[in-house]
Amino acid sequence: MDFSLIAQMVVSGAFMGLVYALIAYGFQLTYATSKSINFGQGELVMVSAFFSLTLTDWGLPYWLMVPGGLLFGAAMGLVVERAAVRLALEQKSEGWILLSIILGLLFFSTAENIWGRDDRPFPTPIPADAFKFLGVDITPLEVSVAVGVLSIMGLIELFKRKTLLGKAFEAVSADRDAAELMGISATRTVMLSYGLSGLVAAVAGILVSPITTVGPTMASALILKAFSVAVVAGLDSGFGVVLVGIFLGALESLASFYLGSGWREAPGLVLLIMALAIRPTGIFGQAAIRKV
Amino acid sequence: MKKTLLAAALFGLVVGSALAADTVKIAITGPFSGGSAPMGASMRDGAKLAIAEINAAGGIDVGGKKMKFEVIERDDEAKNDRGALIGQELAAMGDLSGVIGSVNTGVVLAGDKYLQEKGITKIITPAAGSASMTQWSKAATPDVSIFRFAAHDGIQAAMVVEEAINRKFTKVAILADSTNYGVSGRDDLLDQIKKQGGKLEVVSTEKFNIGDKDMTAQLLKAKSAGAQAILIWGIGPELAAVANGMAKIGMKDPLIGGWPLSMSNFIDNAGKNGDGTLMPQTFIEEPITPKAKAFIEAYHKTYNATRIPSPVSAAQGYDAVLLFAAAVKQAKSTDTHKIKEALEDLKDPVAGVITVWRHPFSKWNPTDEQTHEAFRRDQVVMGMVQDGHVVFANDADRTRLTKAAGGKGK
Amino acid sequence: MKGNWKRFFLVRGAEVAGLALLAAVPLAVTNPFALGLLTLLAIYGILLIGLDVTVGYLGQVNLGHAAFLGIGAYTAGLTVTTLGGGMPIALVLAPALCFILGGLLALPALRLEGPQFALATLSFSALATTIINEWESLTQGAQGLQVPRPPIFGVALDAPDFYWLCLALLALVWMTMRNLLASRWGRAFEALRDSPIATDAMGVGTYRHKVIAFALGSSLGGLAGGLYAFNFQYLQPQSFTYELMVILLLGVVLGGRKSLWGAFVGAAFIVLLPNLLSNRLLFQIFSAIGLTAAVFAAGRGLAKKTTQPFQALAPVVAMGLLVGGSLLVANTEDWRKAIFALMLFSVVVGLPEGIMGFAAQLLTRLFRIAPPSLPAPASLESVLPAWPATGEPLLELKHLKRHFGGVHAVDGISLTVRAGHVHGLIGPNGSGKSTAVNVISGLYAPSGGEVLLHGKALPEGSLFKVAGHGVARTFQNLQLFGELSAIDNVMVALKDVFRVPLPLILLGLADAEEQRARAAALALLDLVGLRDKARARAKDLTYGAQRFLEIARALARKPELLILDEPAAGLAHPDAAELVKIIRRVHDLGVTIILIEHHMDVVSELCDVVTVLDGGKIIAEGPPDTVKRNPKVIEAYLGAVVEEEKAA
Repeated sequence: MDFSLIAQMVVSGAFMGLVYALIAYGFQLTYATSKSINFGQGELVMVSAFFSLTLTDWGLPYWLMVPGGLLFGAAMGLVVERAAVRLALEQKSEGWILLSIILGLLFFSTAENIWGRDDRPFPTPIPADAFKFLGVDITPLEVSVAVGVLSIMGLIELFKRKTLLGKAFEAVSADRDAAELMGISATRTVMLSYGLSGLVAAVAGILVSPITTVGPTMASALILKAFSVAVVAGLDSGFGVVLVGIFLGALESLASFYLGSGWREAPGLVLLIMALAIRPTGIFGQAAIRKV
Repeated sequence: MKKTLLAAALFGLVVGSALAADTVKIAITGPFSGGSAPMGASMRDGAKLAIAEINAAGGIDVGGKKMKFEVIERDDEAKNDRGALIGQELAAMGDLSGVIGSVNTGVVLAGDKYLQEKGITKIITPAAGSASMTQWSKAATPDVSIFRFAAHDGIQAAMVVEEAINRKFTKVAILADSTNYGVSGRDDLLDQIKKQGGKLEVVSTEKFNIGDKDMTAQLLKAKSAGAQAILIWGIGPELAAVANGMAKIGMKDPLIGGWPLSMSNFIDNAGKNGDGTLMPQTFIEEPITPKAKAFIEAYHKTYNATRIPSPVSAAQGYDAVLLFAAAVKQAKSTDTHKIKEALEDLKDPVAGVITVWRHPFSKWNPTDEQTHEAFRRDQVVMGMVQDGHVVFANDADRTRLTKAAGGKGK
Repeated sequence: MKGNWKRFFLVRGAEVAGLALLAAVPLAVTNPFALGLLTLLAIYGILLIGLDVTVGYLGQVNLGHAAFLGIGAYTAGLTVTTLGGGMPIALVLAPALCFILGGLLALPALRLEGPQFALATLSFSALATTIINEWESLTQGAQGLQVPRPPIFGVALDAPDFYWLCLALLALVWMTMRNLLASRWGRAFEALRDSPIATDAMGVGTYRHKVIAFALGSSLGGLAGGLYAFNFQYLQPQSFTYELMVILLLGVVLGGRKSLWGAFVGAAFIVLLPNLLSNRLLFQIFSAIGLTAAVFAAGRGLAKKTTQPFQALAPVVAMGLLVGGSLLVANTEDWRKAIFALMLFSVVVGLPEGIMGFAAQLLTRLFRIAPPSLPAPASLESVLPAWPATGEPLLELKHLKRHFGGVHAVDGISLTVRAGHVHGLIGPNGSGKSTAVNVISGLYAPSGGEVLLHGKALPEGSLFKVAGHGVARTFQNLQLFGELSAIDNVMVALKDVFRVPLPLILLGLADAEEQRARAAALALLDLVGLRDKARARAKDLTYGAQRFLEIARALARKPELLILDEPAAGLAHPDAAELVKIIRRVHDLGVTIILIEHHMDVVSELCDVVTVLDGGKIIAEGPPDTVKRNPKVIEAYLGAVVEEEKAA
């Protein structure tokens, strides 16, 4: 088979995979403090993208729109925490699974009605014309995705490791009650993690929208793959998601080429089920010890 | 409590139907949400424009009594199962005079059988998939109450192939979506290529699903097989993804395909990558005749638009209502069976936006579904996307239609 | 007894009356639309009963159920179109295939809880839809599959006939599920939801039951799918999506979990929902009712302090949004998903037991239906075998080791527990007592050494297998089946009592056995003094009662060796005294007991031998009095005596 064709598929797939990795990273942030993830994270990506689009429609230049979108994403993350997660955490139940699904649905419907059901193009100052790099067509847009994903992840990792607040993340996750006794507000820490997760979702939305257009259903395609990446890498694996994301993106691209575009989802789904079956804590995750 | 709810619903239906005795009750159904929405919404809006104009003038003269239109709307969301439910619901309404609408061939296939069972008159517009009508001729159904008011894919595929041949292409790729529309369109294309002398070699046949955003795989295969043009059958958002994908991998080949390429969501999402795309159209949004001008202006004003999202759907919706009203008047009744008979034999010409309609339908002949098809080849022109609008691809067509505004019918 | 009959008539009577009413509808109403809705109601009823098995009884969020509806539908459809079979065979193949696939899916999913389980089912659902969509040569893909409705045994089915078929199947499913869920299977499902660890330890294989529960629920989804195919006669992959799944969850939660009526009410709601939404007035009335109910409940909850502010107010806000929306929005259809979301939100937060859960409480109070009366307890001797107290070695540990990375929790322990003894195991915190016991009972596999029972090696690393060898235990941190009643907790663990095979259970022929089991369980509850609390929910019991309940439950295993892990932890003095009496009684029956304890008085009173651990090793062993005075033991607990202080 034509090698440059394969390379092309792999490279464009890998870039998309970085977006999955970024969304998966958002899952990790909330999992780190509360062992919970937002099942409606895809809708958060979508709503933040739409909001950013509106900011642009109102005349804001791109570089002002971005922080606006990020703030909105963070705010929505806080909404998710308050409405869907806090009650369940306090009751030590897993009701947040259903509640975050519900909230996602609410966001979806609201977005449909506010912004319409059609896909809209997302403006970006980054040129979309491809250039050749080592025989493969790459667009500056795709490069911006890579830059955006890696920098935001790097920034947040720095925050987690170097600041006291970051340590609080781990404390609350390990033992909520003990952390509270040490003077760490578990609730505030969880809020912070959800806010960050929402911010990350907004970044993902802004990065991916110029490539895929913005629409109410944009998230549903992304989210399952992000789940796959998160679970296969491990929900506490940090940068492991990047590797798995790139791998999955490339695999998808090849699958759609060789098997047909309808099968593009399949590798991610099969990997997810296999990972859950064989190693639920993920490739890079740490196995938990049961205590009675 | 659930039983009470059911009883209340039934009660509502009964009371509702009793109150509607003095109106011509008509249902408008189509996708008002989802990827096909511009077509559905435009069709509905065009139809309602006609209805509003008729009602404002007092209504239709039904055997001496003036009756206004009463409209029921149903959103099928382009989903086949919704189509089935809506079909069942409408078929159960005792006093429905007729149905206008449907954009998606799959929805038509799922739902029309319930209407046909009860002999309820339906004018399908703008759904173009051949199967919508051939399903009745294939089953040799003796009497059919379903009509189609759109350029069906038999015509469109022929035009697309013709256009490709005229532009001297020899190798083409066919891209089609996986729905009934896409699959039957692809089959129509292959059929037409054979019929027109086999001058085109199909180097690659690919499919895509509704919702797909990344067509790189299919396009790379087409490119590496040497395609000079892409013949495509699909709906707006996915078509835009194809146009953008082509630009990304440096394919400058023209895109020629089915009429949804004129939809606003294709044009807007493809941007400059959509310029030069060609598709058959029954109506171009240009004020080339007085009637067209009036229609366009009324649409813009009523719906606060600078551009009709799907001009073909809007114009067809409008004209379909005019035909229906003419049939009601001729039948002197709101009874759907009598309206069907009148529609099969419209005696007076109807001055529509698209053209003057003279006897568009005739009595159903099970061996020839063209009896219930209104459009013929010479009412359809090639449109082209340019700078965010759809314009005449060939100036000759514009001249012809302007002249024909008073003259030709069928 | 009279109470039992009253309850029987009211409950069964309601079921029969409901069925008769539904069956009579086609005779009175000819509107095909209404009949279509009722047919759909029967189909969704079956579907939701199946979903309730995982969501209600197993307590997991199952996101794959819509896929099984689709798989069942396509199986039935293809059986008729491709295989040329008739409707009966199609309606057998559809649930059968879904049972198998459900079981296969459960194999990886079985290890998972919570979000991972939800994700696994979600992936499966997406995968199934993809396969159905892409395998065009088989399923016609996105174009859809036309399904004819073949006559059954030569009789063509028109709309009322098909409706009666669906209704009959619903009644059949209802009856069999009711019998199943009231039997030991239902208890097992609930037990493994509340504590999978304890379920395994009590000899009820979590693995087996989880897989079967999921497979069963999926097969019901498949049956519903088959009927769905013959109802709509047109299938396409896009119908069985995530949006449908959310609606199904809405139905189950709104109707009420763990309840057949709840599934039915939920199904009715789902079926009538589109009509509710398209008629604005109806919707406004409905949301107004909802808002009033939410405000009322909030007021009551806040006043009585039974609900916290968020739980009370959030449904009010959600319902308020619904009412506001119903008045303001142009088109309620456009907001359909938001409406579902708001309704589901209100129910999950404000009415977690669903409409039927709430109604059931109301009705039992209204009609004063007492819970069914319990039989007299069986005699203890008939329940618990007496073991000969021979003093022979029963359990032997040989150089047992268990390491966790660098931590040597158990570091080479060898000891012998003799039959009929109470063998104490003491030591400071972190000395390895619980770890040792966890290895013995099978929670952990040893890192080295052996565990022998009657000279033969015990299975390693499997609570379930060890439980099958006559070893039972309690837990340091209680692992009760919280939502089950005390008597049900004990009944889950009862050994050698349940012999009626599954098919007979489904037919409802296991009542006599259940009564015997209840009598046996009562005997054990009597032993620990909890007989009058038999029907109380385990999580509602006092802490002391909960500790005793765990012991009764462990005894239901008729163990030869009983391991008690800190049974007196946190007990006040009177309860601790009671505990001593109970342990004595158990000891008198010849049961060998390993007792981990910190209460030295309890240890002294009960134990024949005491082994002392420190840092994973044995530092002393012997009768309690000797061990108490051993200086090494004192040092381990209290620390070394400093020379300077002595001098001062």
